[in-house]
Amino acid sequence: MATVTTSIHDSFNAFRADLDDYNDRRERLIKASRDITNLSKKTIFLLHRIAQGDVGETVSEAELSKKAAQQGYEKLREIQEHYAKLRPELEGDKFWRYQRQVSPGLQEYIEALSFAHYLDHGSLITYEEVQRTLMDPHGVEYFPLPVSDYLLGLSDLTGELMRFAISSIARRGGRKKANQVCAFVRGCKADFERMTPYIRELSKKQAVTAQSLEKIEDAAYAIVVRSSEYDLPPDMLDDIVAQSVSNYNTYGHETRQAGGHRRRGGESDDEDD
Amino acid sequence: MDTSELDRLNALLDRDVELREKVKDQVNEFDKKTRTMSGLLNKIHSTPPESIPALLESVRPTLSSCQSVTAAIAELVPENQYWRWKDMWSNSMRTAVFAAALMEYLSNRRLLSLAQASETLGMKAEWSDRMTLPVEDYLHSLISLVNELSRLAVNSVTLGNFEEPIKISMFVKELFAGFSMLNLKNDTLRRRFDSLKYDIKKIEEVVYDVSLRKLAEVPQSTPST
Repeated sequence: MATVTTSIHDSFNAFRADLDDYNDRRERLIKASRDITNLSKKTIFLLHRIAQGDVGETVSEAELSKKAAQQGYEKLREIQEHYAKLRPELEGDKFWRYQRQVSPGLQEYIEALSFAHYLDHGSLITYEEVQRTLMDPHGVEYFPLPVSDYLLGLSDLTGELMRFAISSIARRGGRKKANQVCAFVRGCKADFERMTPYIRELSKKQAVTAQSLEKIEDAAYAIVVRSSEYDLPPDMLDDIVAQSVSNYNTYGHETRQAGGHRRRGGESDDEDD
Repeated sequence: MDTSELDRLNALLDRDVELREKVKDQVNEFDKKTRTMSGLLNKIHSTPPESIPALLESVRPTLSSCQSVTAAIAELVPENQYWRWKDMWSNSMRTAVFAAALMEYLSNRRLLSLAQASETLGMKAEWSDRMTLPVEDYLHSLISLVNELSRLAVNSVTLGNFEEPIKISMFVKELFAGFSMLNLKNDTLRRRFDSLKYDIKKIEEVVYDVSLRKLAEVPQSTPST
């Protein structure tokens, strides 16, 4: 009887060590994931801030976007270093054991990375390209990138792009940009639609993407309707808008109209191509 | 996304779907076996002690046939992806280990160790990244074992076997002491562990009833805790 007792005691000691190890690692990864989420959010703000900086005589729209992307990449390198450090925690079969803990930060990172990539190239970052940012110099991946996290991260990108398009509208050249973003997001939505049967959360996010798309479409609609009243080239319209903005700044705030152009422009078509 | 990228992603996703279906087939197979075992083992509650060994013998072939399922799953699961797929079969796995642990207790009055359980299911060390028996699942099975033994304590008395509840009580107390050593976080294992006290209470009551009426001799050397 005594031997049985000790062996139960010993095995539960071992189980305790095993469970503690699991729980501790899990906590560490949740914390790391939160840090990565934070850094990603900061990167996204940074990208918005720089890409919407003032376009002057010397700086073009495209240059600003490139500049934003470069600084964004710089910031994202911090996250890549985080992942490099996490590597031993996620080695071998451990990655899939803790995937649920890693996933939120990873998706946020992909969102930030794909935003920078969009500003840089005007295109969607590929799966391969994302995985390549999570490799050591010898080309060995820190962990295998799950397709679901890749797609879910990209799905969040559409929300950022909506914000980007709407806040660009009041700027020089912003209307053209809004139209580009609109077309791009529409393409994304169509592409993701094919993948929804595979990934449950993606269909939920598709609803959000549809909303974002609708907002951009409404804004684009409002611009077309309003600019049709003036038979002016876009550059001159830009000038008029810029002038009223500067007048507004000079003559105080009595005539404040909080973001009137952002309100819904009327009926919208649910385009679903 | 250009078409080649879309196709690539779809191919990756399709591969997972296909794998999931194949694993699902194995899990169905596994479930059939565990249901058979549960059905047979349910008879312990109405089988007199002398017929128990024969009953256990009749379950053994099914138990060892589980090895072919674990081997098939180990074959299917890609390298390092055990944890990605394990949720699909962990219920069946727990039931199988529970059956094995119950059989071990009834034959030898001993706790089936994790290593023995893995061996019974035919686990191989070189598969451990594709198929293994994790501590958590093993512990779930042990809790099921206690649940079942508390029923057995009651039913063995009905069958006129007054010694059984006392043996069960001693065994379960040790197991409970083992569980108390763990730092469980708030998950299902923790909740199930918390429910163990009701099983223990039930067993205690049976022991009380039996000893009060002097139906069985309770050893005096019960370790005080």
